[in-house]
Amino acid sequence: MTQTMSPALRRRETVSGYLFLLPSLVFFVGFVVVPMVMCVITSFFDANMNANTPDVFIGLANYKELWQDKVFLKALRNTFIIVLVSVPVVCIFSLWVASAIYQMKEFALSFYRVVFYLPVVTGSVAVTVVWKWMYNNYYGIFNYLLKGAGVISKNINWLGDPKYALGCIIIILLTTSVGQPIVLYVSALSNVDSTLVEAAEVDGATNLQVFWRIKWPQIMPTTLYILVITTINSFQCFALIQLLTSGGPNYATETVMYYIYYTAFKLYRFGYGNAMGVVLAIFIALLSALQFRLAKES
Amino acid sequence: MTSKDNGRSMGYKIFSVVVLIILAFLFIFPLYWIITGALKPPAAINSPKPQWWPSEFTMRNFQVLFSKRSAPLFQFGSVTGPTVPAAIRWMVNTVFMAVMAMILTCITAAMAGYALAKKRFIGRYLIFSLIVAAMALPKQVILIPLIREMSALGLYDNIWAVIFPTVGWPFGVFLMKQFSESIPGEMLEAARIDGASEFRTFTNIVVPMIKPGIGALAIFTFINSWNDYFMQLIMLTSNANLTISLGIATMQAENSTDYGLIMAGAALAAVPIIIVFLIFQKYFTKGITMGAVKG
Amino acid sequence: MKKKLALLLALVMIVALAVPVSASAEPAESITLWTYPIGNWGDEATVKALTDAFTAETGIAVTVEYLTYADGDDKVNTAITAKQAPDLIMEGPERLVSNWGANGYMVDISDMFDDTDKSEINAAALKACFAPDGAAYEYPLVMTAHCMAVNVKALEEAGVKDLVDLENHTWTTEQFFEVVKALNETYGIVGAVYCNGQGGDQGTRALVNNLYGGTFTNEEHTAYTWDNEKNIEALKALYDTEGIDYDPSIVGGDEIANFYNGIFKMAFCWNIAQQLNPNSAGTGAGITMSGDEIGFMAFPSQDGVAALQGGIWGFGVFNNGDDAKIEAAKTFIKYMCDSEHTVEAVRASNFFAARTAAEGTDLSTVWADNEIMNEYTKLMPMLGDYYQVTTGWAAARTAWWNMLQQVGSSDGSVEAITAAVNDFCGQANAAAAG
Repeated sequence: MTQTMSPALRRRETVSGYLFLLPSLVFFVGFVVVPMVMCVITSFFDANMNANTPDVFIGLANYKELWQDKVFLKALRNTFIIVLVSVPVVCIFSLWVASAIYQMKEFALSFYRVVFYLPVVTGSVAVTVVWKWMYNNYYGIFNYLLKGAGVISKNINWLGDPKYALGCIIIILLTTSVGQPIVLYVSALSNVDSTLVEAAEVDGATNLQVFWRIKWPQIMPTTLYILVITTINSFQCFALIQLLTSGGPNYATETVMYYIYYTAFKLYRFGYGNAMGVVLAIFIALLSALQFRLAKES
Repeated sequence: MTSKDNGRSMGYKIFSVVVLIILAFLFIFPLYWIITGALKPPAAINSPKPQWWPSEFTMRNFQVLFSKRSAPLFQFGSVTGPTVPAAIRWMVNTVFMAVMAMILTCITAAMAGYALAKKRFIGRYLIFSLIVAAMALPKQVILIPLIREMSALGLYDNIWAVIFPTVGWPFGVFLMKQFSESIPGEMLEAARIDGASEFRTFTNIVVPMIKPGIGALAIFTFINSWNDYFMQLIMLTSNANLTISLGIATMQAENSTDYGLIMAGAALAAVPIIIVFLIFQKYFTKGITMGAVKG
Repeated sequence: MKKKLALLLALVMIVALAVPVSASAEPAESITLWTYPIGNWGDEATVKALTDAFTAETGIAVTVEYLTYADGDDKVNTAITAKQAPDLIMEGPERLVSNWGANGYMVDISDMFDDTDKSEINAAALKACFAPDGAAYEYPLVMTAHCMAVNVKALEEAGVKDLVDLENHTWTTEQFFEVVKALNETYGIVGAVYCNGQGGDQGTRALVNNLYGGTFTNEEHTAYTWDNEKNIEALKALYDTEGIDYDPSIVGGDEIANFYNGIFKMAFCWNIAQQLNPNSAGTGAGITMSGDEIGFMAFPSQDGVAALQGGIWGFGVFNNGDDAKIEAAKTFIKYMCDSEHTVEAVRASNFFAARTAAEGTDLSTVWADNEIMNEYTKLMPMLGDYYQVTTGWAAARTAWWNMLQQVGSSDGSVEAITAAVNDFCGQANAAAAG
């Protein structure tokens, strides 16, 4: 198609293309690209909050320091643990729920769809407050129930124990993330071509075979889409950490997102914080590119 | 099918129903706890033994919520609205923020997505790559430059400082591009031959075709913007400019947390959004189906 | 139709965008005050009565915004970054002097202190308001001593009430551990060294420092000394004490809530405001949720004489480059902190006046009608060094609670505790050195 375009048409396409893009680009460039460029520039400076000391250009010193900063490395590790755990778990969990409910009657289906969506719409701050109470060391519901059932003899300090804290955060993240994927999978599954499924069943295929051979390929686009939005979601996990653990105990729940905020506003090291931001942005861009490449191939 | 198979699938069915019911409890519980908590007296909320059902109902938390702070209902130039409980103003701000972010995102993303999907112009790969790369970028990364930029634009402590970065977030463009791919090129070609202007083609042919996608994007944006605690926290400071979740946070006293008040505020904030979701639920699910299957 | 709609939308956007900008055209005599929840200075009705009276007398309008300890610092910092700091701020020297003042954002108000003021203002409070270079970044209004609390009914039930001198509110380290032991045997949970964040960290600092006579900084306030042996000994003793755990899941506020609802029998994050209204729940002064009597105590030390952590609160002026506003802000400070109106300003805070008299008004009798306040004055002579003005304070308190977390999750050996202490105290000292 590109080859057959006349130069005049081409020009017209370019002009109209950019006109359509313009409103979006104004916002994207203005509030994402420009700040990102400023972020890159500041990362080469020893910038802080002090009004009396000018920012000093220090080249790559901030970046060098990053790789010796144990807390940053831990934060980077935790960030990727959160993403690498929550993305597949969200996908598998929501696929399972969707396949369990998609053939239900309209009312039951609507009920479950709404139920799994509730934590999303209730608002992260409110949900977090309730979870904080549920995890409470002294009178939280988990300790109350587990102790009542005789599973544990001593209270577990869920958010205060480095062994459990990150897992607890991930669980809350999961409950606030599966709403959309379940809705998507329910729609995708009910749109699977039923004649193909019936034909396979006549041929004696087991349920599992039907799923992998017929359904899975057809819901593939949905899966890819869910991978993308869950990845985005997991990287936005900030309020949870800020409201529950402040990155503790022992940096067990420190993420790069929180550490940037902490470096900037508790330690007042703007340049260093921005350097972290740049590193994280590079990692995220690479991950997105990888995901996109995979999406294109399949 | 053999009977053994039947037995197994029967067992599996029972298992999945049981698990679903347990999960449903777990997912409903926070909202249940918020709503009942909002109606409990402080002693019941602070009690170390969970009170599953309020033994005593009180409107105390809502009374505190509505009496502790006040703000003008609106400010329009030099015209200032009547003084009302600040919680009402916060709700107005929050709704305004989420609705504006939703409308602006839908308009700009639909146009841009269409252009990226159907127009062949120089630089589109570059722009699209940038969009994909920036899609998962957490806002904390650009925190400091963004504050400085908003300050330079005179938008700091202004609800637009929260709205604009949400609109700039490129996920909407990506989503709309995926939807627009499915528009048949022949229809656009036909419109052009008929002499329709570019804008007309967009409004009369493209928009109706990607309408379900726009609906889905609208709900995403609305909910994301409503829940974006971080941007609200760093951009808004004045009592009259706060959002509901931020406003409730400012009502805490030193070294003590009034959970009843938080629950009342959370209930107030959650109910409208749940209603929005219930109304749009059908539309929403349909929209997504199309995009996901054809995208 | 659609075009009209789009046009309308665009119009709405432009109008809405223009509104807040034009709203900034305000009269010159108008200032903004941001306050932390210092007693009723966090309560709109109380503060409005004070500022309305001020406006009526001076014609200066005051817009008040209320901060919280949870995110107040972040808000001020973002506002500074956005060059939108308020004109006036109400908090303590650890923020006003050693943080925002040291970073060059505050106005030097040393000209507001004349010799009479200097003689009337409590010496420690006065000293804390001045930076090392002689500039003053805060004008003090009120002060208190932070202390700890015990559940008196629990002491009775555990049979150790006699060990505790509720008359003079003092005890020795030995008595303290004995009481903890008895409470632990009766209840299993006594209290916690909370360390989720900085909320209420004055309590954990005072506890650790007092137990074996350690210090937090040197006398000159130039370096952090919490890596000394006495503090390590205290951290180790607390680690080994059954019934008191290091708890990284709670902050001071959660501790108070747990004390209020009866789970904890001791609270380390206490002061007179808590004693007057425990957990801000309005269920009666000096009693827990279930009606148990609350006794306030100095922190235990080996000789029974504690060095208590002071809390000082007052006002500072941000330098926004507008002399008229700076003058208006100073007028406000003079009105609240040094005039016949100071009585009401002090009463609103639920703390003690930071000075004996203001322009001829005697302030020593502000709380004469309040029995609890009178009783609490017994603690005031035990006020220790106000070291929160040491350079790098924000980083140091951060290092402090991170250190507590690491101690709590270590194996509790002296080596492990020493390593954690040295590591984080080193970070604090690096920040102090700039």
